[in-house]
Amino acid sequence: MKKLIETYGTALAGLALFVFLAIFANNFLSTANLFNVLKQVSFLSILAFGFTFALITSELDLAFANLCSLSAVVIGFLISSDVAWPVAVAAGIATGLFGGLLNGFLVTVLKVPSLISTLGTASIANGLAFMITGGVAFVGRWDQNFLYLGRGKIGSVPVIILFTLAILAVVLVLSTQTRLGVHLQATGENEEAARRSGIDTRKAKMIGLALSGLGAGVTAMFLVANLSSAAPQMAGDFMLNGIAATLLGMTMFTPAKPNILGTFVGALIIVMLSNGLVLLGAQYYIQDIMLGIIIIVSVAVSASVLKRAAFAL
Amino acid sequence: MKNIKYALAAASLAGAAVAGTQAYAFELGVVAFQMSAETQARCANTVGEKAKELGWDAQVLNSNGSLETHASQLDNLIQKGVDAMILCMSKPVQFDGQFQAAKDAGIPVITISSGASPHTLFDVTPNEYVMAAEAAIYTLGSINFEGNILAQKFESNTGARIRGEVLDLVLSENPQVKLVGEHSMARTKSWQDDVRNGMSALILQNAGNFGAVWASFDGQALIIDDLLKEGGMEKGDVALVSIDGGQEVYRRIKDPYSMMTATVAIPFEDMAASAVEMMQKIAVDGVAKEDLVPGPYLFIPATLVDKTNVDEFIVE
Repeated sequence: MKKLIETYGTALAGLALFVFLAIFANNFLSTANLFNVLKQVSFLSILAFGFTFALITSELDLAFANLCSLSAVVIGFLISSDVAWPVAVAAGIATGLFGGLLNGFLVTVLKVPSLISTLGTASIANGLAFMITGGVAFVGRWDQNFLYLGRGKIGSVPVIILFTLAILAVVLVLSTQTRLGVHLQATGENEEAARRSGIDTRKAKMIGLALSGLGAGVTAMFLVANLSSAAPQMAGDFMLNGIAATLLGMTMFTPAKPNILGTFVGALIIVMLSNGLVLLGAQYYIQDIMLGIIIIVSVAVSASVLKRAAFAL
Repeated sequence: MKNIKYALAAASLAGAAVAGTQAYAFELGVVAFQMSAETQARCANTVGEKAKELGWDAQVLNSNGSLETHASQLDNLIQKGVDAMILCMSKPVQFDGQFQAAKDAGIPVITISSGASPHTLFDVTPNEYVMAAEAAIYTLGSINFEGNILAQKFESNTGARIRGEVLDLVLSENPQVKLVGEHSMARTKSWQDDVRNGMSALILQNAGNFGAVWASFDGQALIIDDLLKEGGMEKGDVALVSIDGGQEVYRRIKDPYSMMTATVAIPFEDMAASAVEMMQKIAVDGVAKEDLVPGPYLFIPATLVDKTNVDEFIVE
């Protein structure tokens, strides 16, 4: 029973929250609102999947939100410069991936602790985003085919939800059912043992951080398409929420270990809470207080892994 | 695990407490883009207060300067089915999809200092170009249209950007006044620190070589005022001019130790009150929007405040 609660307790608490909101929050259960919640989960979860991969290898990526903003700005700049949107999107995603690879290089080759190196790249990404924009957001009524990625619907289902479910399936299989996933997990759990058993742990960490950057780039594409604009700090709020979703995810399914399914459910709980509080009529400060409580509790539960990632490098 | 249960129990209790207070009333969603900016907080809080005076159920949300958060909050309010929305300093182009969705859902939206949208009723705003011209000309006038000035700009906000561009236009027509240093505020979340760092460098670099400082909004001017005082300057040494208005600014205009010289006072409280009043007439009383505000804007006049009229604005 204890193990059951440890493994599924948070998920069950999320379910309890869902039931609570279904009963007390008007319109929570409406189809439109449930799709609204899932759409909001999409941005956060894709970004947090990347962070989860870095954390699986016991590396912290504190640059993912800024890399996402930079990728968004690159996409916005290129589209505003009349570059074909698929090219702009490819460039934006490549920007995120390059940032992740840079983090990987700094961590695995130059041996700069990820806590420090990713803070550095976060600052560089922020500076580049401001350099490209001059602080002024790229705003436009852009190509409808591009905006469809963020705003389009198939029937009443936002297409971004379908993209997110597809991405969830891919990263879930990647992290649990592939050789690469096993290598990433082994590297994060005990780097020395993994190395001695023949795993290229440097490559694993490089890939973990690169995937974090890739997640940032992909999220940027959806963000820009959804908002029809690109601003230098447009993903800033995702930093805290992305980390919170991942940490919350570490309290379920494989307790104390970062895991993709946990991250998705963590993101779902955070967004559900945020949506539910609005539907319940809560004032703005209640949401910040609740998010803070979630972070503190999830950090307390998953502290051991975090300590290893942050300080034992 | 126990901790999680306690947290979720606390969340449930908080939700229940909030839910318990709900009763049927006209529901107004109020969203401010960045409430850490005093003007936006004044705007949103006043809307909330005025709505409550009418017996409405007003829910005030803060987007913390995040585009995505703002979009999510608008989506959530639409799903909640609020009766109306008033948005402070929103961004019509970025949130075109949300505004369209609100219109489709039959939710009337009035924006404040946001810009016009085909999906909203109208925007309550001062005329930025008029205010900017007044502040710019006053700044140059304070040094008799001859000498050097410093400027603190902010390009990320439409209104503040317009103010800076009008300053540049006024300067271009007055070549005997030189802009010897300018800093553009970049980080919207830690902007106070950004302004302090940038302007302290410019003030040191140009010490004794400038007669006035122009700031794109009063929050910046208050920081610059402190920097000038720390630099040993006294009232009359340098003129400090900005835009927005507020009790602290008025107090400093009167303060013999402050460099704050003038501001263009935007009546945010009046704008907020007008937005609520108009919303009541349109959404509750059924008055046609065109009978109240024919165009996309409801312009509210702003007033230049300096030592000659500051007493009229100070609330004791």
